Amino acid sequence: MIEVKNIEKTYIMGKVKVQALKGVSFDVKKGEFLAIMGASGSGKSTLLHQIGLLDTPTAGRIFIDKLNALKLSEREKTLFRLNHLGYVFQEYAILPELTAVENVYLPAMMRGERKELYLKSSIDILETVGLGNRLHHLPRELSGGEQQRVAIARAIVNKPKILFADEPCVSLDSESSKQILELFKTLNTELNQTIVMITHEDWHKEYSDRVIYMKDGLIEKM
Amino acid sequence: MLKNFKVSFFLAHKSIRRGSIGTVILTVTIMSLIFMNLIFLPSIVSGIGETMNIMIIDYTYSNIVIEPKEDNLYINNVASIKKKINSLPGVVGTSARYMTGATYTYKDNFVGGAVRSINPVDEVAVTKIQTELIEGEYLSEADTDEILLGIDLAGTEGKEAEEADLGGVRVGDKIKVTFSNGAIKEYRVKGIFKTKAFTVDSAAFITEKEMESVLGLDNKASEILVKISRRGSEEEYRKKFMELGISEDIKTWKDKSAGLVGNVISSFSLITFISTIISLVMAVVVIFIIIYINTVNKRRQIGILKAIGIDQWAIIHSYVIQALFYCFSGIILGAFLLYFLISYMTANPITFPMGELKPVVEQQLIIQSIISLIAASFIAGLIPSWKTARENILKSIWG
Repeated sequence: MIEVKNIEKTYIMGKVKVQALKGVSFDVKKGEFLAIMGASGSGKSTLLHQIGLLDTPTAGRIFIDKLNALKLSEREKTLFRLNHLGYVFQEYAILPELTAVENVYLPAMMRGERKELYLKSSIDILETVGLGNRLHHLPRELSGGEQQRVAIARAIVNKPKILFADEPCVSLDSESSKQILELFKTLNTELNQTIVMITHEDWHKEYSDRVIYMKDGLIEKM
Repeated sequence: MLKNFKVSFFLAHKSIRRGSIGTVILTVTIMSLIFMNLIFLPSIVSGIGETMNIMIIDYTYSNIVIEPKEDNLYINNVASIKKKINSLPGVVGTSARYMTGATYTYKDNFVGGAVRSINPVDEVAVTKIQTELIEGEYLSEADTDEILLGIDLAGTEGKEAEEADLGGVRVGDKIKVTFSNGAIKEYRVKGIFKTKAFTVDSAAFITEKEMESVLGLDNKASEILVKISRRGSEEEYRKKFMELGISEDIKTWKDKSAGLVGNVISSFSLITFISTIISLVMAVVVIFIIIYINTVNKRRQIGILKAIGIDQWAIIHSYVIQALFYCFSGIILGAFLLYFLISYMTANPITFPMGELKPVVEQQLIIQSIISLIAASFIAGLIPSWKTARENILKSIWG
C-alpha cells in the first residue's frame, strides 16, 4: 500500500540546517495498523507529514498504491488527500463553526457528492463512532473525546485508502484514549482499514500490528 | 468549479451565521455609513449645482438668450424675431430687454451699474422675478416714471451703505438715474425684489416703453430671453431658431453660466472626489482588517481545511463571499438610511444664501458607488485570505 524509499527532510532555519529525516525506508501493507513511536524530536511527525502528502521531502520517493506521490502537483495532492487519505490530528482539529455532522460531510461536499448520500453516510458514521445523539452539536458543546471522534468520523467517512493519525489521544484522558484506539482497531479489523498512527504511549502499541521506532531522524527498529 | 462555490458558500454562510453577531452588526453599520458618505456629499454638491441652475433659469437668463451679433449693440426687428420664436411649439414666452449703463443716485449714495428694461407682461412668462417682490408692486406696461430695484442695490435702511448699494431705499422713495447717453431722470421706486440670485438682486428694471423713450430706440433689444417648456432641450431649440433664419448670437443658459456654475461645481467636485477616495479607502481598510483578523484567527482551521483536501480557492472564495456579504448588507442598510435622510432633507431643505438646497441623487452616482464598494470589498476580502490560504499547511496548523 505504501512504499517509503530513503526519505530525507532538511529544514533550513536561517543559517542552520536541521536534518529531521536522514533516509527512512519502510513499507506498509494494505489493512495493516502501523504505529510509529519515538521520543520528541525523533522525526516521527515529520515522517507522517511526508507520507501523508502534507509536506514534501527533500529527497527520496513515496509510492501509494504504486503511484509516485511526489510527482503530483500541489493541486493534485489536494485532490489525492481529499479522495484517498484520511487524517486525525492532535487536539481535535474540527471546525468550530460547523456542527458534528457538517464537519463530517464537508469533504464529501467538496467531492461533489449528492447531499442525501453524504448526509446519510455522515449520520451513519457518527452513529458508528457513538455520536448519533450529538449530530447537530457544535464542537464547543462536545467533550474532547467526542470532538476527536467527530474528527475520526470525518477522516473515515469517504473510506480512505489510508488513515493517518498524529497522536490522536494526546489531549484525552485514558478512558477516552481507550475508546479511540478501540475504534481504530475495529475499523482496522472489520473494514480492513490501513492505519498509520503516531503515538508516544507504550500501551497504545498493543492495538497495532507493527511498531516502527524512530530515533534522531532514522528508524531505530521495526 | 460549482462544487467549489458550493463549499465556499457553505463555509461563508456558517461563519457569518455562527460567528460574532456584534462583528457582523458593526461591520455592516460601518459599510452602510461608507455607502451613505459615497452618495450623500456628491448629492449635496449636485443639489447646490441644481439650485444655482434653477436660479439662473428662473431669474437670470431663462432657457435661451439671443444676443446681438458681434460688433452690433442691439438686435434689430425684435417684433419679427419674437413672432417667429413664439410660433414654435414648446416655446412658453419671449422677453426682449434693453440694457444700458447707468448711475443711480439716492441722497449722498451713488452706484454704477446697468439698468435693464422689460415688457412686464412678456417678462412674467419668462422669469420669476415678479414673484419675489418683498415690498411694493410689479411694473405695469404703461409705467414711465417707476423703477424696480433688487435688494442688493436698494440696500438696507439703518445699515451703513456699502459700495454697491444705495443705503436703504424704500418703496415710494425717488432715485435719480443717469443713463449712458447722458439723460438724467428721477424714478419712484415701485417695488423691491429679492431673488437670492446675486447678479439679479443688484439690478434695476424700468419698462420697455420708458427705455425706448430715453434711448430713442424702437423695435430693438439688447437681449431676448426665451422660455421653453422642456428644460434640457435648449440645443434642439437653438437649431430650430437658426433654421427659422435667426442669425443673432443664440446661447443657452448653460453657455451663459458656464464660468460661474462651472467653477463652483468643479471646486466642489474636487472635494467630492477626495471624499469618495477617502470613503473607498476606509471601506478597503475596514474589510481588510476584518477579513485579515478573521483569517489570522482561523489560520489553523484554514490549514486543516487544506489538509483534508478542501481546495485553496474554495477557502479563499469563502472569505471573499463574507466580504461581499458585508458589502451588500451595508449597501442595503445604507440605501434605507440614505432614503430617509434624503426624504427628510427634501421635505426640510437647508437654506443657503443662494436659495433652498435639496440633495440631488443621480442614478449614475448610485451605480458608480455600488460598483466601487463591491470592487473595494472584493479586493479587501481577496488579499488577506489569499495570503493566508497559500501558506504551507503545516505552518498554518502548527505555526
